[in-house]
Amino acid sequence: MLDKSQDFLIEIGCEELPPAALEKLAHSLTKQIGIGLDQHRLAHGELQTYATPRRLAVIVRHLLEKQSDILIEKKGPSLENAFDENRKPTKACEGFVQSCGITMNELIEIDSPKGRCVGYRYLEQGKETVTLLPEIVTEAIRELPIPKPMRWGVSDTSFARPVHWVVMLYGKQVVETTILGIHTGDKTYGHRFHHPDPLHIKHVKDYAELLFKQGHVIADLALRQHHITQQIEALLTSELPKAKALISADLLAEVNAIVEWPKAFLGRFDESFLQVPKEVLISAMQSHQKCFPVVHKDNPEQLLPYFVFVSNIDTKDSAAVISGNERVMRARLNDAAFFFEKDKQQTLASYLKDLEQIIYQKQLGSLRDKVQRLSALSKIIAENLREDKQAALRAGLLSKCDLKTDMVGEFPSLQGIMGYYYALHDGETLELATALKEHYQPRFANDAIPASGLGAIVAIADKVDTLVGIIGIGQHPTGDKDPFGLRRAALGILRIVIEKQYDLDLRELFVFALEQYKVPLSNQQVIEDLIQFTFERLRTWYAGSNGKADVFAAVSARNITKPLDFINRLKAVEQFLTLPEAASLSSANKRVSNLLKKSQNSLSAMKVNPALLRETAEKTLEETITKQKIVLSPLIEKGRYTETLSALASLQKPADDFFETVMVMVEDKALQENRLALLNELRNLFLTVADISLLQV
Amino acid sequence: MNDSFFNVMTFQGLIHTLQHFWAKNGCLIAQPLDLEVGAGTFHPASFLRAIGPEPWRAAYVQPSRRPTDGRYGENPNRGQHYYQFQVIIKPSPDNIQTLYLDSLRSLGIDPLIHDIRFVEDNWESPTLGAWGLGWEVWQNGMEISQFTYFQQVGGLECRPVTGELTYGLERIAMTLQGVDNMFDLVWAKTPFGVITYGEMFKQNEAQLSAYNFEHADVNALLHYFDALEKQSADLITKNLPLPAYELALKASHTFNLLDARHAISVTERQRYILRVRTLTRAVAEAYYQQREQAGFPLLKSEMS
Repeated sequence: MLDKSQDFLIEIGCEELPPAALEKLAHSLTKQIGIGLDQHRLAHGELQTYATPRRLAVIVRHLLEKQSDILIEKKGPSLENAFDENRKPTKACEGFVQSCGITMNELIEIDSPKGRCVGYRYLEQGKETVTLLPEIVTEAIRELPIPKPMRWGVSDTSFARPVHWVVMLYGKQVVETTILGIHTGDKTYGHRFHHPDPLHIKHVKDYAELLFKQGHVIADLALRQHHITQQIEALLTSELPKAKALISADLLAEVNAIVEWPKAFLGRFDESFLQVPKEVLISAMQSHQKCFPVVHKDNPEQLLPYFVFVSNIDTKDSAAVISGNERVMRARLNDAAFFFEKDKQQTLASYLKDLEQIIYQKQLGSLRDKVQRLSALSKIIAENLREDKQAALRAGLLSKCDLKTDMVGEFPSLQGIMGYYYALHDGETLELATALKEHYQPRFANDAIPASGLGAIVAIADKVDTLVGIIGIGQHPTGDKDPFGLRRAALGILRIVIEKQYDLDLRELFVFALEQYKVPLSNQQVIEDLIQFTFERLRTWYAGSNGKADVFAAVSARNITKPLDFINRLKAVEQFLTLPEAASLSSANKRVSNLLKKSQNSLSAMKVNPALLRETAEKTLEETITKQKIVLSPLIEKGRYTETLSALASLQKPADDFFETVMVMVEDKALQENRLALLNELRNLFLTVADISLLQV
Repeated sequence: MNDSFFNVMTFQGLIHTLQHFWAKNGCLIAQPLDLEVGAGTFHPASFLRAIGPEPWRAAYVQPSRRPTDGRYGENPNRGQHYYQFQVIIKPSPDNIQTLYLDSLRSLGIDPLIHDIRFVEDNWESPTLGAWGLGWEVWQNGMEISQFTYFQQVGGLECRPVTGELTYGLERIAMTLQGVDNMFDLVWAKTPFGVITYGEMFKQNEAQLSAYNFEHADVNALLHYFDALEKQSADLITKNLPLPAYELALKASHTFNLLDARHAISVTERQRYILRVRTLTRAVAEAYYQQREQAGFPLLKSEMS
């Protein structure tokens, strides 16, 4: 490359950034700077991203010193308008010349789509890169997806955390400007404790090495993560060769985002803690202490009494750091063990009466009342699905008992899981224990639904009861406020019913659930509200998975309250839309629907009188409809909607012929009514599946 | 003043050292609030002073009560009553992190030995309508402090921003004294012998835990909450935000007791919190207006 280029560095030095956002922020900064450079026609090489808790940095390799020059072309009036018959420039032409700030002899002729015209071309000199960088960087920072921007001190500047320094260096030259309220320079800072003094960056290419060798900072995210995993492996190989660390990708990324100079250590805890369920120990280690649990290499199910933690210091006294961490872990596990032992002193079932003390919701009684209701509801659902009724009844009754245990009080995320362990301890069946564990599922957007049938039944019952109660007292979610998680509950029910292929009628469930409330609920139209609310969730979910709004509307018009049935109809309509006959049949249905709307008579009373059929087309249509009715009735009964609709596709030709040759709104009333009755039959045939007149084809 | 006054190996020496450090760094030393509160933030010297444009620098010990944390004095790390050391600086200075780390050094905690970490913790107090961004500070995996830049208090934007530092005194004392049980902490070495934290509070923990978990009268508390709420709201209409605030704090503690009695479900909890928040918001707005009407006196004193 003949043009001169230099490397460019931008580094934003901050107080400790939020780990969850770090990687995303760093990559967006790089991306936005790339976009800015391209927009400004600044050719460059590779972009490198650096991120630590205290810095976001980007290096642009081989960034050209200047923008490329650009040929600018301005078009003036057409030749005939530019010169008069004496080949003298017209007023328009002179005006153009003046506006360009040129003389007549600099004018040239240009071909344009509208013919030849006068014009002017010139080379615009590219600007110096250093003059453009402040704007590019400022703009890039403005575009960063900062999850929760904050302010500090008296300043109005906001960023993810307070900013302390900004380096902008082009080769060896500081790009002088003010970014996020800070004057730019060429000084970075090393590790908070190992190198608190400024480090002078002489040249961009020295950046990462300078930080590594003098600053005690590994600036590159991937490299730092590699260091961590290597250290953990080396640590275990030398100290516990038969073990491996349970490293979840999320926790590793989080740990990586909170250290600049990782040092891994092995801590241990007393073996007696292993009697506590491992979910408890693991969640204490991972979520509370950001430590990696250690398991047996050959049997990852076997937790070992060790943990790996990653410090951010090359300590002068490892023993102090290890014993400090062990002390904290001991305290955490002590708490957990204490709760586990204490909770087991009574049976899970014995907590039932204590649920009376918990107000579920002021107007809806205690949690004891709730489990009574959801237990009855579980039984009904089990009956419907031909599952074990008694098991469902008991699972429902015990489903919330663990909320009164100390362990769940301490680790709320273990609700259900502790129910599982305590139920097993009490000698309940594995199936029941599993249902207690699973009935909160799905707990979040992509969570799994309960795997077991009993778990699914209690999960549905729990959510239905919540929906009926809360909507029953008129506490509908509004805007982004959904304090009772009703949207999630409704979607949960839908997912379970659909994924498990349960043929359950939500209206029936809602009605039954409502009957379980001993106190009257204020909302008189609770059932209709619920149907609407739940199927609104189905609509959102369907739209989210790229379903078409008109397909949904077509099925929705049928007021179906079995989600599974609803889904099957959606699929059938989707399939129907791929048929060549779809468009014409949909518009035929629209016409019919419009004609029927005009009719004064009650549609249900209409009957086709074959004697009144005159035209061939109407006779054919009538015959086809009669034939189809016979063919279709078993299909419809079995919910085989796709086949139903493809069979109905055969009506396309007769229907089209009918509309082409038969006049419906004739003078003769009897004839008119007979034809309307025929069309009503046609429409009813389609309506058995969906209202296809609503399709946008 | 003798050396033992600042001896960080005693609980009272630890408090003295922190008070001394922050007094040297420009904070006034306030005294604790005489009401039951869950944290130092509830003290008017934090909550109310964080409101509005007036500068403020204060440090104080706040006895804090969290009824659900009671363990009858049987848990080595927890109690329903403990101490926070609170530092509140408005506007938050640029070197606030450095100041904090210097305060640790003044306690003899060397960050080149101990792994000191600022771990993201976005603080929110729903009952105070307040939130801020910041960290838990870890020493070797132990949370020893909370560090927050207030962004909103009582529903009002913080301009300028207040920096809040909260030290968990028992935890820091435990690592300094090298004990695994907070009741073994030395509170003071007096000429008449050593007095431990356990001597001071173990009985108290056992009895208060029994009260919080077993004997607190749920019905009475439910009524008490309603009465406090009503009167606090009433005081606001009489333009008396300071007593209204005290009643809101009492309501908040009443709610905490009900919580300890497991008398409120997860669903109802949220509503109780909102009720307290409504009160503290009204307090914050009324307090702001009064300061404004007074011409924000501390802004003037700063200039003179």
